[in-house]
Amino acid sequence: MQEGRRDRQDLVRITSGIPGLDEMIEGGFPFPSVILVSGPAGTGKTTFALKYLCEGAKCGEQGLYFTTLSEPTQWMLRYASQFDFIDRDYFGDEIVYMDLGTMLREFDHAKLLEIMEAKIAEVVPQRIVIDPITVFGGMIKGDYRAFLFDLFNHLKNWNAATVVTGEVAPGEIYPPEVSYAVDGIVLLMLNEEEGARRKYLEVLKMRGTNHITGKQSIDITRREGITVLKARF
Amino acid sequence: MTQVLEAMDAAGLKGPVLLDVPSTQFVKTSLLLIKGLSQDRGLPGLFVSVDRPHQYMVHLLSVQRVKTENLRFLDVISRFAADTKTASAKVGMADGPFHIDRLVSSFPALANNGSSEQNAGSKYRYVIIDNLASLLAFNNFSSVSIFIEALVHHSEENGGLLIPIILDSQKSAALYDAARAMCHEELRIRVVCEAAPAGSSPNTLGETKET
Repeated sequence: MQEGRRDRQDLVRITSGIPGLDEMIEGGFPFPSVILVSGPAGTGKTTFALKYLCEGAKCGEQGLYFTTLSEPTQWMLRYASQFDFIDRDYFGDEIVYMDLGTMLREFDHAKLLEIMEAKIAEVVPQRIVIDPITVFGGMIKGDYRAFLFDLFNHLKNWNAATVVTGEVAPGEIYPPEVSYAVDGIVLLMLNEEEGARRKYLEVLKMRGTNHITGKQSIDITRREGITVLKARF
Repeated sequence: MTQVLEAMDAAGLKGPVLLDVPSTQFVKTSLLLIKGLSQDRGLPGLFVSVDRPHQYMVHLLSVQRVKTENLRFLDVISRFAADTKTASAKVGMADGPFHIDRLVSSFPALANNGSSEQNAGSKYRYVIIDNLASLLAFNNFSSVSIFIEALVHHSEENGGLLIPIILDSQKSAALYDAARAMCHEELRIRVVCEAAPAGSSPNTLGETKET
């Protein structure tokens, strides 16, 4: 019995920072891994990503935030600072921010990968965010799927747990070209029910993890960001 | 990390040293050890890649401007990694992460690019394995435990070769306990969650405790 337990190495896990989510996924995201957080506009993808990085910074884990939106840090921080969990002092040291927006139009996929890897090797992050990954699809020169495969494989070999956000159109649940290559998929949803829009989170896939399935109600507050309200555990 | 290297200095940069490190910080710990041992102290070393192809550490060391002329790599995983990343380094290739009972005895020849030169072991003064716990994905607990024992013997047979045995006592408790019984020295590197204030620069691995 003892020997059997010893023979299997449990996956290393890191906390997601989202109250209620870790309990649904055996304690946190596998480390290293690439996790897709997918949903339409307004469901909290960027809030999820920022909370994930801030939680890491609080625990002494280095963060790296790649944005593909050409949004200056000042504007990102101006909106993000409305959340109580954001400590602006984290940005610049514990959480390094890099804008890939303008490079997407200029470089092919090999060059982009080279630029991103150089930044990763400089910062040595344990947590990485790419927000949103889906922008690459419309802009990158070359084979998008091959790029994603190379990127995700390299990200895991850099020994980091990466959250990539994926914007989808209403009615879609996740970007299929991204989903095949990731280790986990967390869906954020907006459903119209009795005249009100309600928000849900669902863990669709989490490799190596016995996860709770089904939609869970969530709330987004200034204090905590996203909170899972009803997890069946 | 400075305290860890100073403790190693105090022990004459010799012997197996058990390092208790959070799993998420293994790469950073290896990076700082290589910098401290190879670049700052001029020791020739052997870096054994198990968890990822050696090219990632080569790239990391290059970007961090750590001098690696006296560092050799032994890649145990590349043949199973389907990775296209390229990097230039002195590297020997092992067949794979299985059958590790034969791995330690092949260090000298593999580190010497397959040469069977006598005393090739003296060409390196320390060995870092990245990482020991990942061997449990390919081997049973008993085999990995015996592998650590073989590392300790390898250290003794080579005049007290320095071998930092990097493990996470919280994630790999049984393996850590097994290694603890074989090592004379134990050092801890832990960053306490909630206690790391903004601006404390996590890359320094500042919260170091020795036991």
